[in-house]
Amino acid sequence: MGWIVYFRRYWQLYALLALPLAYFIIFKYGPMYGIQIAFKDFNFFQGIAGSEWIGFDAFKEVFAMRDFYLTLRNTLMLNFLDLLVSFPAPLILAIMLYEMKTVWFKKLSQTILYIPHFISWVIIGGIVYQVFGTQSGMINNIITSLGFEAIPFLTDKNDWLVTYLLVGVWQSAGWGTIIYLAALTGINKELFEAAGIDGAGRLKRIWHITLPGLKPTIVVLLIINLGHMVSIGFERPYVIGNLAVREYSDVLSTFVYRIGLESGQYTLATVVGLFQAVVGLVFVLGANYTSKKLTDEGIM
Amino acid sequence: MIGNKQRKGIMGTKKAALTAGLACTLLFTACSANSGAGEEASGGSGGEGAKEHVTLKVEVFDRGNSPAGSTITDNYLTKYVQENFGKPNNIDVEYVPVPRSEEVEKLNVLMASGSNVPDIVFTYDPNTFNRYAKQGGLTDVGPLLDEHAPNLKAFLGEEVLGYGKFEGTQFAIPAKRSNVGKYASFIRQDWLDKLGLPVPQTTDELYETLKAFKEKDPGETGGQVIPLGMTIASAQYEPLIWSFIKPVSEEERHTLTQQLGSNDYPTLLPGFKDALQFMNKLYNEGLISKDFGLDKDKKKLGEDVATGKVGFYSEDDINPFYEKGSLDTLQQNVPGAQLASVDVYTNEEGKHAKPMYAPNGMYIMIPKSSERAVEAVKYLEWMATSDNLFHLQNGIEGENYTMVDDIPVAVENPSEEALNRMFNSGDMAIVSNGKQLGSMEKNLKARALQMPKKFLEQVEAAQVIANADVIEPVLMDRPIEAQTKYGTTLLDKFNEMIVKTTMAKPDQFDGIYETMLKDYMASGGQAILDERTAVYKEMQAAN
Repeated sequence: MGWIVYFRRYWQLYALLALPLAYFIIFKYGPMYGIQIAFKDFNFFQGIAGSEWIGFDAFKEVFAMRDFYLTLRNTLMLNFLDLLVSFPAPLILAIMLYEMKTVWFKKLSQTILYIPHFISWVIIGGIVYQVFGTQSGMINNIITSLGFEAIPFLTDKNDWLVTYLLVGVWQSAGWGTIIYLAALTGINKELFEAAGIDGAGRLKRIWHITLPGLKPTIVVLLIINLGHMVSIGFERPYVIGNLAVREYSDVLSTFVYRIGLESGQYTLATVVGLFQAVVGLVFVLGANYTSKKLTDEGIM
Repeated sequence: MIGNKQRKGIMGTKKAALTAGLACTLLFTACSANSGAGEEASGGSGGEGAKEHVTLKVEVFDRGNSPAGSTITDNYLTKYVQENFGKPNNIDVEYVPVPRSEEVEKLNVLMASGSNVPDIVFTYDPNTFNRYAKQGGLTDVGPLLDEHAPNLKAFLGEEVLGYGKFEGTQFAIPAKRSNVGKYASFIRQDWLDKLGLPVPQTTDELYETLKAFKEKDPGETGGQVIPLGMTIASAQYEPLIWSFIKPVSEEERHTLTQQLGSNDYPTLLPGFKDALQFMNKLYNEGLISKDFGLDKDKKKLGEDVATGKVGFYSEDDINPFYEKGSLDTLQQNVPGAQLASVDVYTNEEGKHAKPMYAPNGMYIMIPKSSERAVEAVKYLEWMATSDNLFHLQNGIEGENYTMVDDIPVAVENPSEEALNRMFNSGDMAIVSNGKQLGSMEKNLKARALQMPKKFLEQVEAAQVIANADVIEPVLMDRPIEAQTKYGTTLLDKFNEMIVKTTMAKPDQFDGIYETMLKDYMASGGQAILDERTAVYKEMQAAN
């Protein structure tokens, strides 16, 4: 079959591909041109091409900044804890939803679980303030009216950490179940029936059928998550964080925002961005390699 | 039947694919059509009419408060400008909105984009101005002002213009402030009366008063009383902190002050630690809100004042007295509530020392890439000429204001139309911050008269307080580069230092203060100190 015939027959598929492809070219590959800013003394008015090359000077400057290490540590710490707390949450939820037999209740729970995903972080920040505030937060109002000491959920760094993680679970766990639920539909129902006849209880079935069935999905998601270990969303730490807990809440993305957009030092901000990308790549490749060795599952 | 259904299914996918493809094409053509139209418009405007017809692009702050029927780029005042300045000069004035809350970030993006940058841009942040000037991105407006703007130069005066110089060159046109007073403090007079207490005159007396507020809860808040309203915004903490700063020599004043953004900060001045210690005491005794460190935008404070929980606080001088502002709402919530303007914080010398504004407002700049620099200067000149500024600031006589003793007084209960006319007045009259009527006295009077009549007495008192015992901003002979570079980071650290030391347990205060100060110095504070010391030496040598 000549390629012209082939293309004629399948051109719709290519048309469909065009949009995502355009997305990657415009938003992922195009901006790579800007990476050179990290090696230049970027001048607003000369543009990227007109700015002078400075080699690795900016890298030296960034690696000498205390805030860089603080924010790097916090990024890794928050992401790692998130992985421990937020990663298993959708998995457990998905299995629970899957085991649920009452259809209307299942649908209702799913809807309620999905809602937080669609609320903007700015709004969540406002809600968090109202609920967890020390002086006038809802929870502390109850605690103090019962005669106990108020808990500084937002202003003590360790309490804040718990708040941060739980808010994350609340926001993302429901939405995260979708991918697992999709994978669960791929498991052959007969396996469950056979296991039931053989006398396997619910937990046994989950352990021997559901979880192995989900293994490839779990591994892929884990690898993707590890790849994001050094990159962290901007909104969540920025909105929930505050000056009293900056020791924990200041992360690479807020650091980049501060030195890049607020102080106009684009060169330094680009250095940090590039650093994140390189370390992220190392993490993905490392996780993929390990996973292939251990479980034969991987993403490439 | 089944075959038919299948056939339909395939048709369905085909159609879907087609639609997707079509959507793609449309998207791309839309984009290219758009850019084509843009080119045409800018190309067309050049060759139209006998006299050259040009477009002047002017930045405007968007506060998201446009009334129905107008937008920030199309409203009564923009039409007024077009009619009175644009038409006679063959200029189309086009406004480019920038959100007020992220003016610096957005401006940075605009400037870096090169082609889309407006011909007139501005910022309140001197560091941003210095950065642009240093990178060579601004037009030298000195010669243009000499040639085209005699009225503007006379209006601004030498002192104000001096703030727009970068290493001797006039790279910005600073706006002129009509009033340099900044802060006053406010106390619940009805609480004092109820407890039979006098108005506190010193910081020590204030402390006793706050304790009485806490213990006796005269507002009957049910234990929710916040004796001292505090936030992590400068209007609340600056009056307190600066009153602890000890008298210093000229040299110390120049070298130890740290200018971060547009304000001077006393991080290294003697007395700063005492101020933090005092705040720490207030916090640990429950006299300020436990969550003050979360309140960056004063929202929570405003709420607490309006619901009658706060006994005393500092604020921008006339801020509480606006129509539907804090006091107005408070009096609705708590009948009989009174807020008195007071001057309490006292320094070692018994003065109520507090910061003031520099005589300039924002920095108005013309990017170097602009081809309309002359028109831009003409626009500003027009604004400063005859009664144009007056009209922009006051609206229409009889509908918006009436003249009383040479002072425009806001019409009581103006019509909706008249009110909407002026919603963006402050952001359109860019050459001035506040109303200009020829003298400070008149300016202040006019400012007071535009406030609700029922609060006039307190407004006038607040303005007097704001201008009493003020600390002048420190002027250096040349811009401090380290401030430009580290300003934003250090401002964050400064605020963090206040929050952490205030919230520390009393026995941990010293340790936390030392750690934070060390971090501050290492993150740029030392660099600023060194540079300021060097520049001060130069200044001494030059004299």
